[in-house]
Amino acid sequence: MKALRFGLSVLLVAAVLALYRAVHVNNTTVALSLLLAILGISAWWGLAEATVASVAAVLGFNYWFLPPVGTLTIQDPQNWVALLVFLATAVTASQLSERGRRRAAEAEARRTEIERLYALVQSMMFSGNARKTIREFVHTVVRVFGCRAAALYYRSTEEFFRSGPESNVVTDHELLAEAEIEDVSVDSGREVALGPVRLGLRPLGSMALIGRLPSEQMVRAIVNLIALTIERARALEEASHAEAARQGEVLKSALLDSLAHDIKTPLTSIKAAVTSLLSSSDHSERELLTIINEETDRLNRLAAEVIEMARIEAGKLHLEKRPVAVAELISGALADLAPAIQNRPVKVRVPDGLPAAEADHDFAMQVVKHFVENAVKYTPEGSPIDVSAELKSGKIVIGVTDRGPGIEENERVRIFDKFYRGRRHRFDTKGTGMGLAIAKGIVEAHGERIWVESEPGQGSAFYFSLAASPGGRHT
Amino acid sequence: MSAGKILVVDDDPQIRRVMKATLVGHNYEVIEARTGEDALEKTPQEMPNLVLLDMNMPGMGGLETCRALRAGSDIPVIILSVRNSEKDKVAALDAGADDYVTKPFSIEELLARIRAALRRTSPESGPPAFHSDDLEIDFQSRRVHARSKDVRLTPKEFELLRYLVAHAGKPVTHRELLQAVWGPDYGDEPEYLRVFVNQLRKKIEANPAKPKYILTEPWLGYRFVGSTEG
Repeated sequence: MKALRFGLSVLLVAAVLALYRAVHVNNTTVALSLLLAILGISAWWGLAEATVASVAAVLGFNYWFLPPVGTLTIQDPQNWVALLVFLATAVTASQLSERGRRRAAEAEARRTEIERLYALVQSMMFSGNARKTIREFVHTVVRVFGCRAAALYYRSTEEFFRSGPESNVVTDHELLAEAEIEDVSVDSGREVALGPVRLGLRPLGSMALIGRLPSEQMVRAIVNLIALTIERARALEEASHAEAARQGEVLKSALLDSLAHDIKTPLTSIKAAVTSLLSSSDHSERELLTIINEETDRLNRLAAEVIEMARIEAGKLHLEKRPVAVAELISGALADLAPAIQNRPVKVRVPDGLPAAEADHDFAMQVVKHFVENAVKYTPEGSPIDVSAELKSGKIVIGVTDRGPGIEENERVRIFDKFYRGRRHRFDTKGTGMGLAIAKGIVEAHGERIWVESEPGQGSAFYFSLAASPGGRHT
Repeated sequence: MSAGKILVVDDDPQIRRVMKATLVGHNYEVIEARTGEDALEKTPQEMPNLVLLDMNMPGMGGLETCRALRAGSDIPVIILSVRNSEKDKVAALDAGADDYVTKPFSIEELLARIRAALRRTSPESGPPAFHSDDLEIDFQSRRVHARSKDVRLTPKEFELLRYLVAHAGKPVTHRELLQAVWGPDYGDEPEYLRVFVNQLRKKIEANPAKPKYILTEPWLGYRFVGSTEG
């Protein structure tokens, strides 16, 4: 290849000389034409070819064109100038073009590396699993960059990922040490490039490439890429855990709903059947059927309370707050409890002009019901119950007061606990012991306060607060 | 003589059994459907006077079935559901149900609701007709014409409108309205009125958000305004 280029260079010079031997022109034209040929040769091929061409051109020019024509003697010192000009042109032009060619080659190499980096990015598996992603990466980087081997140390699981046994040139210990270092190092003698994998200042591990090495800059780009990739995989991993947890909650809620349905369906049949029988029964059966009916109701309440408590504990109360008229809330609760309070003098006190409460209507009504039910349960038959509402420092406070035995101080905190029953009532079978715990859960879900005031021997008063609705001032 | 034909729609066979036994005992004729799809098929064949519809069924749920029934007929529908929240009641009434009963229920309660749903006030009571520039109501033929279009009202919507027009100009309380339209056992269901009045307004008012016929009396009830006052 090289010999061919030398031959062609000499031939080109010979062609110029031959042309001007045939066509008569002055010597300056011949010299300039030769100069052009040398310039061309040095630009296309390089210094060596141009030098050979220069010498050939000087010899030919001297022999055929400079007087005395037909000899190789140089009488005139201007011939030396011609030779020098030819050589200087050859050297300068070839150096310039050589530099250009080198730049182009460098640019080409860089382009190839960037293409490879791009190919690396594209072939990376963006999965939501950091370890799987790293394992994939180690093989992909070897394939794309044509290295012999690669190794990666992942700090968070303290694992070493290697593309194959060839990567043992770099020891685990070296990788461990590299994870603590700031910058990459490329050892072209050992054909080993090492770099820490970091995200900002946070070390994630380190990486080694063995064999044909990309440039130092490229090694830096590769470690940055793997750092980002690991971080992304980790973020995806965490997001999918969060999603799984959320789905668990949804499932729990769906389960509670279906449980409610499954328990209440047979109760519906029993209740419909027994009430149907009751309406047409004679006296002797009536007592027994009444028991079935009452116990069905109790079972239904029990199921409802268990499910409600579970919902509160799962944080699954969906409140739909809107302005609620407090008087209507209380009358609604009392209407629902009508059979239970028929023998009780119940006094309701709601001042005119009390603002509406900002609350979930159904749940707020339930709190009132639990308070009243509680009063009915733990106070003597026939003793009065007062229900009141008032505006106190911007909050609506609803209270239920009884004239029962009262609650001793050490029990007042625990009375809102699930399944807690007052000492005196421990063996009382009425209720589930969840009413006040449910009331507390509802009030707390509203972000409000629930409390009890009591004077042993005098009675107890249960209170809860609700936000006053910013809109209406109706009752 | 049968007191009426009732279609019982519930996926639970025991509930259907007990309903059939009880309702037949009270002189109703009972037909059963296991699913919403089944109910939609049987309704035009059997022409029941009332549908008892379970809310929570596999496949086509109660609400969807109710909407589909409503698209084709004015037949009274009572939704039966284990859920007790106001939201569920409103959703059922919005779907076109006339009433909502929470499971488990006593049979007396259900029978009272059935009687209320089947009952019609006699056409003689109340005004014979109402006319204004964009609303015409003929109470005898049960026809309503609003903004030059015929409007179809469900029986309960019609009764509600009739009662309000009969007391035009005066506020009618929630309780009074509920007892007049649904029956004496009612009175604590203001959400029923909210839903039904909304539906009525959508059908007869030019702008349901700014009603000119059926006005809300805050916390009290509703008032019908004839065009002369408006």
